[in-house]
Amino acid sequence: MLIEIIDVLISGLINGSVYALMAVGLTLIYGVSKAFNFAYGSFYSMGGYIAFLLFGTALINHYLLVFCLAIPLLLLFGFFIEKLLVAPLRKRDDWEIKVMMITLGLALFLDNSFQVVFGSRMKSLPPLLEGTFEAGEFILPYQDVAIFILSIGGILLFRWFLNNTRTGMSVRAVAQNPAGAQIVGIPKEFVFAATFAISTVMVGMGGILLAQKYFITPTGGWDILVKAWVITAFGGMGSIKGSLYAAFIVGLLEAFVGWYFGMTWTLIALFAVLLTTLAVRPQGLMGKWG
Amino acid sequence: MIKVEGLNAYYGDFHVLKDVCLKVGKGQVVVMLGPNGHGKSTLLKSVCGLVDRVTGSILYNDENIAGLKAEKLVNQGITYIAENRELFGEMTVLENLKLGAYSRSARPFEKKNLEKVFSLFPRLKDRRPQLASTLSGGEARMLAIARGLMSNASFLAIDEPSLGLQPNLRDEVANIIRQINSQGMTILVVEQNIPQIIELADTIYVLEEGQISFEGSKEDALSNDHLKEIFLGM
Amino acid sequence: MEHKRIAILLACIWTIVAILPLFFGSTNFIMHILIMCLIWSVVASCWDLIMGFAGIFSFGQVAFFVIGAYSSAIVSARFGIPPVFAVFIAGGIAAVFGVLVGLPCLKLKGAYIALVTFAVHMILEPVLKGDIGRALGTGGSRGILTIAPMNIFGYTFSSSNPVPYFYLILLVAIICSAIIFLVIKSHWGTAFLALKDSEEFATCLGVSAFKYKLMVFALTSFLTGMIGGFYAHYVSMLSTRMLGIDLFVTLMVILVIGGVGKFPGAIVGAFITIALNEMLSPIGAYRPIILGAMVVVLVLVLPDGIVGLVEKIFSKKKHRFTH
Repeated sequence: MLIEIIDVLISGLINGSVYALMAVGLTLIYGVSKAFNFAYGSFYSMGGYIAFLLFGTALINHYLLVFCLAIPLLLLFGFFIEKLLVAPLRKRDDWEIKVMMITLGLALFLDNSFQVVFGSRMKSLPPLLEGTFEAGEFILPYQDVAIFILSIGGILLFRWFLNNTRTGMSVRAVAQNPAGAQIVGIPKEFVFAATFAISTVMVGMGGILLAQKYFITPTGGWDILVKAWVITAFGGMGSIKGSLYAAFIVGLLEAFVGWYFGMTWTLIALFAVLLTTLAVRPQGLMGKWG
Repeated sequence: MIKVEGLNAYYGDFHVLKDVCLKVGKGQVVVMLGPNGHGKSTLLKSVCGLVDRVTGSILYNDENIAGLKAEKLVNQGITYIAENRELFGEMTVLENLKLGAYSRSARPFEKKNLEKVFSLFPRLKDRRPQLASTLSGGEARMLAIARGLMSNASFLAIDEPSLGLQPNLRDEVANIIRQINSQGMTILVVEQNIPQIIELADTIYVLEEGQISFEGSKEDALSNDHLKEIFLGM
Repeated sequence: MEHKRIAILLACIWTIVAILPLFFGSTNFIMHILIMCLIWSVVASCWDLIMGFAGIFSFGQVAFFVIGAYSSAIVSARFGIPPVFAVFIAGGIAAVFGVLVGLPCLKLKGAYIALVTFAVHMILEPVLKGDIGRALGTGGSRGILTIAPMNIFGYTFSSSNPVPYFYLILLVAIICSAIIFLVIKSHWGTAFLALKDSEEFATCLGVSAFKYKLMVFALTSFLTGMIGGFYAHYVSMLSTRMLGIDLFVTLMVILVIGGVGKFPGAIVGAFITIALNEMLSPIGAYRPIILGAMVVVLVLVLPDGIVGLVEKIFSKKKHRFTH
């Protein structure tokens, strides 16, 4: 029984770490440019499919190579999508709805393109690390440990970037005061595109990391979008710290509810927690208005 | 240094500035007066690249900068200091100042300008690790000006520095402006509540309904009845 | 757009739609499509009202539609209430849910409201399929397989003779659009314009955001639920497939094509979108790809949809006349 609980706990933590990576990406875009990317789930799937394609070519058989190729690809993709689809809408009125709509159209386009190209059968990726750690009845695949370390590593890397690089500071500046950022000479539009690109990398990486455990499907991204959305709202939209806490809480909650009550209840439980939190604190755990 | 000719500025379809002409010579202090809402901020912002739609010419050392964005202009030494201050509330005073030196031309001088700014604003030096949102009104105003100075600018457009300040702090602001001007800074300032600044002015302009209605020295201004109305009517 | 112009546009649209059976009445397949166009036009118009007009990012429209459809089917089956009354009860039930969902949303902003309302949508499927649903009569994952057809004064509308059904739904759609038009024209309209512009300021002036927002939730979910009921009694069977992402996306495409906040764009959008959907169906799996690409291009090129484009053309002509 204890082993089971520890298993659930670890599963929750590992999922939570990947959720954290992806939720931070979503809250980043919202915090900096107030845009909502409805195609976020499709970007998740895209990460998985890119990795799948890369592994498919005989040359690449190591995750390190996959990361080195996938990250710049995702970065460029995100950057250009923002420039082409989101930036032109900013000047219009009701632009938030329009951004939602255009990203929804993009999601539709991407998901179904994946379906046509890859088929609707699930695809899987080879595990990052083979082998398991065993202590009596307790089994921990090294793969899971690797996923956890990479996710946390990604988040820490991002935190370092935000606090210690000039571009990172400019991102924080634009998030806090876009007018002030302009006055100081920060290229606002570039920052918008850059953060969109970074968030694409984050969610794409999430897709690659989780694909080895849960498979890649053309429509699998919607679940991820909803979860990331719930987490960012729960933690407070625009608050990175909030998303971090919320992601782990959600990961653990999901694991325990799924284990005890069954998987169909997890979504309901998540929303119940979200709604009660929002009823008491409409801005989420650590969100700020404005 | 700055020569504006036939400047028109628009917010959407709204025609704010109509054929404005203006001159600010190098090292001068030029004061802009006028009723609220008639375009003074827009004029300053236009020169500094913060207004989306402008037509006409703005010559900066004989180069037309009209329509160029602030990111470029800050790099060339033109900085705007907002009446709303627009500070980064959740960053410290030091971080705000460092961000002031964001542009490429300002970065090499960051250390030097920090020293300069701290000697001009000793109170800010004490408050370095404090969050900008916790500063008092006067200190925030000082931080906004200091941050502007960090950009290594040669031209400052200062928008209503006295707004929200107690009268005793206004003297301080006037002193600061006199000091930086004496160090060679060209200043275009919107301000009507600080007589010392108006004393300092080489030229005075009045902007009404988006058009220049007066241009002249301070002596001309004082002998103009219509302007006396504006002065007294504030 | 001025109210008079909206009214004229509405009248034109409905007149054109009303005479369509003259051309297509003999083809059941086309009549079926037209009936669906009418139904979705009501749902889309309601969504346009709450999102484009009142500025509330509600994503619960499909959920209220499904709630209404299931309610009407269950109420007529379990309590023997004739469908013609069941649809109104269904609307009422949907409206109650609308208010329940709207209440927590009143304090929330933008994307949060979208999330909460979308949550309702996502939770609905497991609830309808699960034990609670089965107890209520939803038929679990099988769905409801027989629903009483609409029956008014003894005349049974059957789907094998769609033309009368078409005119019935047309009447309902016209009434719904009239209600929406009256809302836009009324002081609700001005209240929402004020709230959208600056909520704090409007509230200071005494505009009760609370009251108006709640009323919009109630009204749009009532109308959507009611038309859901009409849908149920028309297609005679229901399943939770309606809660998939397809319907949601279709409605969004309707709004993009018609123009958000440009009533009666949603009506025009509905006809165009469904027609397009049908025309594209031979290419099967490529259809959603093309639709998705279309949405992207349309949002960039025609940000206010077709109605917005028409508006622009007319205002340019006006300028030419006055110069």
